[in-house]
Amino acid sequence: MTVAVHGVGTSHFGRQPHRDLVALAADAVQEAFLDAGTDDIDAVWVGTVFGPPGVAQRVLRAMGVTGIPVVTVENACASGTTAFAEAHEAVRTGRHGRVLALGLEQMSTAFAGAITPEPTDPEGRSGLALPALYAMAAARYLHLGLATPEQLAAVSVKNHAHALHNPRAQYSGRHTVAEVLASRMIADPLTLLQCCPTSDGAAAAVLAPATGGAREVTVRGVALRSGAPWNHRSPHVWGHDLVRRTAMDAFAAAELLDATDVDVAEVHDAFTIGEIVTTEALGFVAPGDGGKAAAAGVTALGGVLPVNPSGGLLSRGHPLGATGLAQLAEIVWQLRGEARGRQVEGARLGLVETMGGGVSVLDGNSCVVAVLEAP
Amino acid sequence: MTDREFGNRRTEDAVSQPSTVDPRPRVEQGPDGRYRVEGIRCPSCGEVATFAWPRCPACRSAVGPASFGPDGTVWSSTVVRIPVAGRTPPYVLAYVDLDDGPRVLAHVTGPGAPIGGRVRLAPPSADGDVTVEVLA
Repeated sequence: MTVAVHGVGTSHFGRQPHRDLVALAADAVQEAFLDAGTDDIDAVWVGTVFGPPGVAQRVLRAMGVTGIPVVTVENACASGTTAFAEAHEAVRTGRHGRVLALGLEQMSTAFAGAITPEPTDPEGRSGLALPALYAMAAARYLHLGLATPEQLAAVSVKNHAHALHNPRAQYSGRHTVAEVLASRMIADPLTLLQCCPTSDGAAAAVLAPATGGAREVTVRGVALRSGAPWNHRSPHVWGHDLVRRTAMDAFAAAELLDATDVDVAEVHDAFTIGEIVTTEALGFVAPGDGGKAAAAGVTALGGVLPVNPSGGLLSRGHPLGATGLAQLAEIVWQLRGEARGRQVEGARLGLVETMGGGVSVLDGNSCVVAVLEAP
Repeated sequence: MTDREFGNRRTEDAVSQPSTVDPRPRVEQGPDGRYRVEGIRCPSCGEVATFAWPRCPACRSAVGPASFGPDGTVWSSTVVRIPVAGRTPPYVLAYVDLDDGPRVLAHVTGPGAPIGGRVRLAPPSADGDVTVEVLA
């Protein structure tokens, strides 16, 4: 059965300690219900990383969503897209008729700065904060000549400029490469403006069988994988192989050979190097060309393949569990031609990629890649 | 607090305790005075890891014990300049490819660790971090 996204919704993204997850989720779910033209759903999949326990039922009861199957999933930063992938599978197989996927996270009340590294993880216990993990990939890229500091910074410049057209983004601005490089060093070579912020937010999608409706965005294919061992045997930096393998699964599910036909993408730019490596791993650009593409405007709005028109995690914000569904909402708006000032004209095929980190030895906790098609 | 009984369980038994398990790789000093990381090697696929897991993380085969080091090459490194719980910035971290074994995350003594540079396992920190020193 072919599945379509019938409605999406999001909260505002940003530090919102004055609002709780009940309020943030209500924004996203009510908008998604309105967008779908119905609140008649049969099950809910919820993605969140830091919970708290029971948060799914707690936020859903406030919208009268009670007495149906509710499942909470956690796959680090890919939790929201994992909820989407599972909701998709539930509809595709006929298990449920109409399903809500919801992602939510409140981080401003939990962390003053970077996420506290998980003390039960070997590398977390060793003080490997996530910026440091990505910084190692960035340092390696610089060492090998696969990117320059200016190309890293170009990703931040681009995504902050994209967010100027996204009223729900946490940050936006016309930064220069020099400004990005001159911002405070977080973990060499990554500076503050190359790191996603601490964000609160929620995002939701309603999935149901495709009926050919004028506003239905068809799900062409979704893939979910956990990470495989990443070590001295891998020729690539952390994360590359997992994104590549998951993308190949998603392309196969979508009956595509590769990324050639993709018109617009939202990818995991938690840090600038993440977008560079991911655009290479997805096959948007040749290996080693991710930084050049960002600096040359290839992946900017107006370029050949715009990446992160919403502003990405870097500017829209990164409330972990909500991120995947925020990415999905952006692609749905893009494919319906409803993205206003950030619209990629004529976009027919869109891609969402989310990457979760934080498990030693593996090249990622989990990755989800989804391919969607315009009505 | 009183010793109130709930069935055969006393309230004190319900008090949580911090885990005494340290997940970081275990570093041991050999008879030659050198430090090595304890881990596993897979007889089927050759995968190595610096953890005492029962199965190979790559192919699921049963594995045998192995130790790695003391020398290796820096794959990449960074200086962490932000506050991290229990840490005082700045501190230097490196992924080190040990000569006969896996990639291990290590703290670096000294101001930095050039990529491609040679390092050697040093005594773990008092807190238990895997630590390397840069070889001249």
